[in-house]
Amino acid sequence: MKLTNEGQLPKSAFDAANDANPYANITSRLFFVPDEEHAFEQGNVETGFAEADKVMEFKARRWYHTWAQPELPTAITRWNSGYAELWVKHQHVYEHRQAMSHWFGLPMNRVTAYAPYQGAMFGGWNWMNWSTLIHYVTAVLSRRTNRPVKLVFNRRDDFYGGSMDCAVHRFKVGAKKDGTITAVAIDSIYCNGPKAPEPALGLAHFIENSRIPNLFKHNVPAIVNKGPVTAVRCEQLANTLCFNLVFSHVACELGLDPTEVALKNDGADGRDTTHLAELKRRYGKPNRDSLRECIEAGKKLMGWDEKYHAAGAKRLPNGKMHGIAFIWDHEWNSRRGAGTAGILFEPDGSVSLLGQHIDIGVSSQTAYCQIVADELGMKYEDVVWRQPNEPGFAMMTPDGSCNLCANGHAVRRAARKAKRDLLEFAAHGYVEELHSSPGAFPGYEPDQLDVRGSMIFVKADPSIRKSVREVVQEVQCVQYWRHPQIFTHSWKQSGGWSDPSGTGGMDALAAYSRRPQLGRQAHFMEVEVDTETGEIEVTKVVNVNDVGKAINPEGVEGQQYGGSIMAVSRSRFEEVVWDMNTGVILNGNLIDYKIATILDCGPIDTAIVETGLGYGPYGANGIGEDVGDHCTSLLGPAVFNALGIPVDDFPITPGKVLKALGKT
Amino acid sequence: MRNFAHINATSLEEAVEVLKRYGKRASIIAGGTDLLGKMKDEILPTYPEALVNIKTIPGLDVIAERNGGLAIGALTKLEDIATSEKVREKYPALAEAARRTASTHLREMGTIGGNICQDIRCWYYRNPNNRFPCLRKGGGRCYAIEGDNRYHSIFGGSVEKGCYAVHPSDAAPALVALDASIRTTRRTIKAEEFFQVERLRTTVLDADEIVVEIELPPPQGNSAFLKFALRKAIDFPIVNCAAVIAVSNGKAASARICLNAVYVKPYRAFKAEQKIVGKTIDDATGEDAGAAAVADAQPMSCNAYMVPIARTMIKRAICACT
Repeated sequence: MKLTNEGQLPKSAFDAANDANPYANITSRLFFVPDEEHAFEQGNVETGFAEADKVMEFKARRWYHTWAQPELPTAITRWNSGYAELWVKHQHVYEHRQAMSHWFGLPMNRVTAYAPYQGAMFGGWNWMNWSTLIHYVTAVLSRRTNRPVKLVFNRRDDFYGGSMDCAVHRFKVGAKKDGTITAVAIDSIYCNGPKAPEPALGLAHFIENSRIPNLFKHNVPAIVNKGPVTAVRCEQLANTLCFNLVFSHVACELGLDPTEVALKNDGADGRDTTHLAELKRRYGKPNRDSLRECIEAGKKLMGWDEKYHAAGAKRLPNGKMHGIAFIWDHEWNSRRGAGTAGILFEPDGSVSLLGQHIDIGVSSQTAYCQIVADELGMKYEDVVWRQPNEPGFAMMTPDGSCNLCANGHAVRRAARKAKRDLLEFAAHGYVEELHSSPGAFPGYEPDQLDVRGSMIFVKADPSIRKSVREVVQEVQCVQYWRHPQIFTHSWKQSGGWSDPSGTGGMDALAAYSRRPQLGRQAHFMEVEVDTETGEIEVTKVVNVNDVGKAINPEGVEGQQYGGSIMAVSRSRFEEVVWDMNTGVILNGNLIDYKIATILDCGPIDTAIVETGLGYGPYGANGIGEDVGDHCTSLLGPAVFNALGIPVDDFPITPGKVLKALGKT
Repeated sequence: MRNFAHINATSLEEAVEVLKRYGKRASIIAGGTDLLGKMKDEILPTYPEALVNIKTIPGLDVIAERNGGLAIGALTKLEDIATSEKVREKYPALAEAARRTASTHLREMGTIGGNICQDIRCWYYRNPNNRFPCLRKGGGRCYAIEGDNRYHSIFGGSVEKGCYAVHPSDAAPALVALDASIRTTRRTIKAEEFFQVERLRTTVLDADEIVVEIELPPPQGNSAFLKFALRKAIDFPIVNCAAVIAVSNGKAASARICLNAVYVKPYRAFKAEQKIVGKTIDDATGEDAGAAAVADAQPMSCNAYMVPIARTMIKRAICACT
């Protein structure tokens, strides 16, 4: 099956009138189309369409939006006699040291990086190729002037830095009457991506968490007279948007409850939930039905069974149309990189967690200190993560998403090693050339001791106890004292659970480290649509996330609330507007680039499901980013349910609603 | 920002004197919520050499009853108007227009005088560093005509200049509908005649002329104000509408209806007024009036959606007056 003729440009066909010029949907000034197209196929979609009771076609578009980070991009460099100090505002702090070394021929041990609080970044600009170069500029100037140099973007600079996810998608979907999806084909044009899109971009989530056997994806990049674009990658909006819209269209067009359609198609790698059950068994995971648990929790919070109705079927007493929608997806996973962490007992018995990391406000500080405290038996307040400093270890950054899986394991391993060392000292002390100590608990072996509440005690008689502080002071060495500090470190490479024998069609994606995901998330939205003005009011959002294990539940809820607000904002308002004739940004400020206020979002209700099905420590999944990414397309299904016609042109503005209603 | 002189005027006479001295090289500053943004972004071809601060002039921030109506000092903050019992009771359209302007913080800074004198929000005109030297700045063309005009006029451009930027004030249509007058240091002008489209100007004020107060006549009927914007706070209007309707024996005896953000200055909806006078106010009448008001609309390439919104705003504002 081919959506396009060999050697010809694909047609987006978003507007019938534009079939002759498919790129008219993304710009009026197409510069060129690189000579690269990327296709991915699993199964045979023609066979799948033949098996279907209904084949449906539809289109969607996501216009440019951007990260609009509250704290603007900044770089400081102090060059001092062959040494460089960097103050970095970037997710990839450690890479700045490598870059500085590469650019200037400096040995890395002469480059020091600090990573103070960063503020929210939303991924975006960190992935632009130029984003490390502001440090190059400051380094050059600092070396010439022999003074520290600081560079700060203004708001407009930040807008010109890049945008995200401008794409046009055309869908063809086959399904049986009961909601079983037999084939999905998607043809996409992506604007100004920094590199060729991954072959399966837009299909990844179908592969990872559905039983749909026949999939086809065709991606074409286009270079237009607008700025650079990133986030056409990873788990961001192309994957979530395509996944969510296919399921909602199948449900709406077949008149089925979307939660039932989801459950009917849950699975992985083209196989159904029995395959998921086998994977859970193989990896020692509980055989829990994550999707069903999320749906049940969400339906209850939303009042779904009382509120759900067929598309376009409910007008409210205030004259507006009522819409209600559901989407689902997998939870965040571990896909890339490695994290390294150290544990250091300070001479006063407090504990420092070492590992450079950036703080973007997702409360990872709390989660990792909780892990260390819990594993060591220390009080939480006795543990501090010295994340801005550079101890020589790099943890994956940012956090709360896939990186939790790498960092969490590294932190836990290091803490467990540190506890072993601590109890060894407590039991046996140490013997050195000039000094020795009998240990704080002579006559006991390490396994007879334990730590709780920052107190070491004899398991068989807890009344025999000493504080960690006392024990550590006995063995620690500072200047005239005796023994080196207690220090351990460990690491974890993420993605290590891959199982080639279980990945089937995903073999083709091995380079991207994809693998079946076991945890699920479910989101619900209720809207009212004014058919006279096109105004959409979001009246309720429910977020349910199976995070496996909520290490810091308040942090999880923070991601749910923040993600929901960001998603409503992206789906209703956010669009970078470029003048088509000059390529100048018209709304590069926070008045004209509109970000939702709390008044625009409606109440948000959340639930946390803990199945232990994640790849992280304690079976945890990450949650950072995913609510914002997944729920950005939730408004489309909600409006579809309200009006009975799709308006999948994001952001969904009043003008687009009125146009869909035939009123303009 | 560049350097400029900052002169605290202690009287209107002193302020006028300074303005005369600098000519067009000075600007008046009160709340500063519009002016400072323009200066920071350097959107204009010239930069003011001096700012004449009139916040230091006493007595211009008072709401007082006068001749059965109200006099509102030019320095009265929008938040004070929004929360004033006197305004809310007699002129709910104006109170609501003030309440729907910007955000709480901006309403605590912005004044009614500044609001009606504010500059246009056209994103070509406002583009930093005078990137688009448009008609309104003395240039040769309106970039919105062939560009993205989703927030521009649906009733054509200004006759002389061809500018399609809309007037962004929320208070302005309320004042026009309420038949208010603007008293300046030189004259008294009907609100309806206060606004005009000129190079670098949105009002008829001369360079050395200052708004002193707003005079509201006794209420001439029930009034209402509605605003349609993308967000519930902060945003400038996509369409707003104020209506004042006197009802007698269940029918509209008189009506003044004004839209804004749909034309280069507040747009008096005469055809809508004619449709409802003498008729019972209900949904059907409102619908007819709304349709009549937009019958002359000439939407541009990207803003046809504003037409049904304007029609609906008129209908709902009329019905809200009953």
